[in-house]
Amino acid sequence: MIGLSSPGTPPKDFRPHAQWAALVVAACFLVIAGRLYQLQILRGDEYKGRADENFVKELRVPADRGLMVDRNGRILVDERPSYDVILTPWFCGKQCGEVLARLGAMISLTPEEAQRAEERLLSARGLTRFRPFTVKVDIGRDELDVVEAHPGDLPGVDVIPAPHRNYRYGTSAAHLFGYMNEIGAEELERINNELPDEDQPYQPGDYIGRRGLERRFEKELRGVDGRRRLAVDARGSAKGEELERELIPEAQRFVPSSPGGNLVLSLDWRLQEFAEKTFPGTAGVVLAMDARTGFLLALVSRPAPDPNKLSGRITRQELAAIHSDPLQPELFRAIQQHYFPGSTFKVVTAVAALEEGLFRPGGTIYCPGHFSLGRYRWRCDKESGHGTVDLEHALGASCDVFFYSLGEKLGADRIARWGGGLGLGRPTGFDVGGEVPGVLPDAAWHDRHIPGGYQRGMAVNIAIGQGDVRVTPMQQLVLYAALATGTVWRPQAVLRLEDERGQVLREFAPDARGKLPMKPETREAVLEGLAAAVNQPYGTAYSQRLKDLGVEMVGKTGTAQVVRLGARRLKAHQVSYFERDHAWFAAFAPRQDPEIVVVVLNEHSGFGASNAAPTASALVRKWLELKAQDAAEQRGTAGPRQPPPAPAVPPAPPPGPPPRKEVPRGA
Amino acid sequence: MALEISLGGAGGPGAPRRLVANAPWGVALLVLGISALGVWNLASASRSAHAPVWIAQLWWMGAGSVVAAAVVMFDDRTFHRLAWVFYFAVVALLVLVLLKGRWVMGARRWLTFGPVNFQPSELAKIAVAMALARWFHEDAARRPGPYGLLRLAVPIGITALPALLIKRQPDLGTALVVVAVGATVILFAGVRWKALAALGLAALVGAVLVWPHLQPYQRKRVETFLNPEGDVRGAGYHATQSIIAVGSGQGTGKGWGQGTQSLLSFLPEQHTDFIFSVWAEEHGFLGCLFLLALYLALVLAALGIAGNARDRFGHLLAVGITGMLFWQAAINVAMVIGLLPVVGVTLPLMSYGGSSVLTVFFGLGLLANVAVRRFVN
Repeated sequence: MIGLSSPGTPPKDFRPHAQWAALVVAACFLVIAGRLYQLQILRGDEYKGRADENFVKELRVPADRGLMVDRNGRILVDERPSYDVILTPWFCGKQCGEVLARLGAMISLTPEEAQRAEERLLSARGLTRFRPFTVKVDIGRDELDVVEAHPGDLPGVDVIPAPHRNYRYGTSAAHLFGYMNEIGAEELERINNELPDEDQPYQPGDYIGRRGLERRFEKELRGVDGRRRLAVDARGSAKGEELERELIPEAQRFVPSSPGGNLVLSLDWRLQEFAEKTFPGTAGVVLAMDARTGFLLALVSRPAPDPNKLSGRITRQELAAIHSDPLQPELFRAIQQHYFPGSTFKVVTAVAALEEGLFRPGGTIYCPGHFSLGRYRWRCDKESGHGTVDLEHALGASCDVFFYSLGEKLGADRIARWGGGLGLGRPTGFDVGGEVPGVLPDAAWHDRHIPGGYQRGMAVNIAIGQGDVRVTPMQQLVLYAALATGTVWRPQAVLRLEDERGQVLREFAPDARGKLPMKPETREAVLEGLAAAVNQPYGTAYSQRLKDLGVEMVGKTGTAQVVRLGARRLKAHQVSYFERDHAWFAAFAPRQDPEIVVVVLNEHSGFGASNAAPTASALVRKWLELKAQDAAEQRGTAGPRQPPPAPAVPPAPPPGPPPRKEVPRGA
Repeated sequence: MALEISLGGAGGPGAPRRLVANAPWGVALLVLGISALGVWNLASASRSAHAPVWIAQLWWMGAGSVVAAAVVMFDDRTFHRLAWVFYFAVVALLVLVLLKGRWVMGARRWLTFGPVNFQPSELAKIAVAMALARWFHEDAARRPGPYGLLRLAVPIGITALPALLIKRQPDLGTALVVVAVGATVILFAGVRWKALAALGLAALVGAVLVWPHLQPYQRKRVETFLNPEGDVRGAGYHATQSIIAVGSGQGTGKGWGQGTQSLLSFLPEQHTDFIFSVWAEEHGFLGCLFLLALYLALVLAALGIAGNARDRFGHLLAVGITGMLFWQAAINVAMVIGLLPVVGVTLPLMSYGGSSVLTVFFGLGLLANVAVRRFVN
């Protein structure tokens, strides 16, 4: 250590100090070298990763969400171009307040939105001043034009495209579609924890499907986001492509997004629109199903909130209005509400009596206009009585006494057994969530729920669909389809899942939950009665027969009492809305080899014959027309069968009003 | 050569020959090597700034070499004589900087004379070494033997006065280096063990007492040092980014000009205080070992010069200069790699900056001066 200088003998007393010092110096350098070894060799990979993270800024390329189309490829739900207004406090500095005021004048901020923006401005400190926040979501085209015309007046304000879900037909089938809204902060964590590893986690600000198909098929509709990686410096500004090519491997710079799958629904939107137009009810349900497969053709559940509103731009007041609406528009009546089935239930009593051998085809019962059991007395619908009636007449004219008598003989247990066989008392399996099972009470049920337990008279009420029996419209549909075909279907609304090129990803087959163990004579006898209801002059729905089409529709009316009858029957206009009877009609056609089943429930509208049957009848008529029309087209095009219509994903949304173009069938 | 002869005349007729023969060529070679690496490294570090600071650094180093050469020419007795003048002149400048200095980033560190800006605190390191060397040189003549606490009052005062003035600027880093230089010289002069123990205790108590009076940003730095990950975006940013840069260099580095941390401005003050992290990122563990080896050789060679000095003044002056080089290098590197809190200390011969370069070369000139005249009596 001393050898670097020329040789010589230095004064003695300086050298020991120098040698001690050299040791201390060497020790210090050794510590430094050790630390460097730790940082660069032992943990080098970790720090290399962090250095790379530093300059790589990842941008998301959001995936297009899958469409929903009807069975003919008509687009029902898609994305429409829309714009969000964001503000970055840093760039407006001290003028932020004025900028916000000016902006408010241009895009009409609600007081709520303005207040929230001011709060965000006040709370932005330090680095958060660089973080943009959303002032208003989903501004209209006009507002966009105004904002873009004044770029100089609005420093810090940006308008960013943010595609919004577009439910093209508003409230129609809204419960089936569901809606979407922003995922909450706590929810985000929970959902990401539950996601399988291969799925992409959600991020704050993401929208997620709520209810209906949006929720049921969230995973399939969502798609996989792409990524764009940029090289940025410490201030976050992009450094250009040249440097990017140098720093980020080609394969990592851009990963394209892959769009979600498209849902092809079984609905025929022509029929759906017709049903919406024809159904007169304020509240109620119209269901049409292909009797041969269990796939739905039309689904009206009214009232419904507009999913376009629910998906983002709804105000607190509007939401409160929906929540406080006595008609409960959020309720998916087709599966989430159960009703007294009224006379439509008489088919269950009839099947039970025939199968249990308590009543033989051809037998009769005398109706004096009332039925007595012990000290109780039940009135028939026709106070003067139907006289001696057989099953056909009893179903056709909807004689109550006939079924009171059968009910009394059967008891609740046997009615419940046959009702269960027809699909009642349990969810139908229509899997868009929240389905209620209805009530199909047997003796045990009464013992559990009714003070005093089961009494014989209860079966008398059940026999005509009152008492404690309750069904959902969807169960009613399954029940009548089972009568029509002998198969208890699980109703479905989705035919298949396709990718954006129309390749089938998943096909949903008809799902039979059971066969009805019913003798052919039983079915024949019941169908006779249902046919009489529509086609015999004494039938309750005689006016709705399809006399001109040569197709025999069969069905059953129902008028379900909501409140216990008083001393005398009142007219609909004499009682308040919520105390009026529900009108039911369930039907299928053609009688031989049934193809379509229709159920109409018109809440609180009175008689089934006059307030539900016409819709059902019109719907069957329309469906037959459409069938003929399609067959004619098929013949017209001749040649081989058309390929399944491919619902093309619309190209990148052009700026402008949402596209309303129909995708050409078989394009 | 002609210039050297005329200026070195004080050494007598044999001076020119001795000047060449005794010149510390090894030290000169090491300084040249480190300086060259420093400029090369600066050329990489300044890519993002769009300012070729390495060219300016070359100019400063040229000027520094002239200063060093001039210093070698003088007879060392000149510095012996001028030690107090120099010391008090520097103290006066330090007072002046507190009164008239230029405010930069919340501190008064710079004096402006016409077009020239400089930091008197840099000179204070050398002034303290020189003044202490002179005081001990004369004191030893009166009373030999190791020093007790009482007799250390004067040298401690000599160190503390400029250190406190610098601390007032505030510039904790330089003040610490001044204290380190003073302490090194005092230790080399010989201190009784009891006195040493008492001083150690006093330093500990002092630290506890000083803590509440530190500037908030200084306290924050110490706290951040103790837990750098706790505040990655705030005060810990410098420390964290520097460690990331160093660690990401791994074994052999990313290559010259390939350091993303420096290129994309994630490193703070990458030309000056954090220049070592640029080196570490681009040249890795091996490059760091190489550079450290050069510094180690330089410090040991300088210690050799101190050990071979002709008299007590020259010995302690060389010790002070060596201490300055060593402590700055060690503190700077330790800070960059997260062994010490972030204090503003430059890395000699690598960091960019006129005051720093000139001071280091001035010190090296003094060192060479001691080396050249070690056998003169």
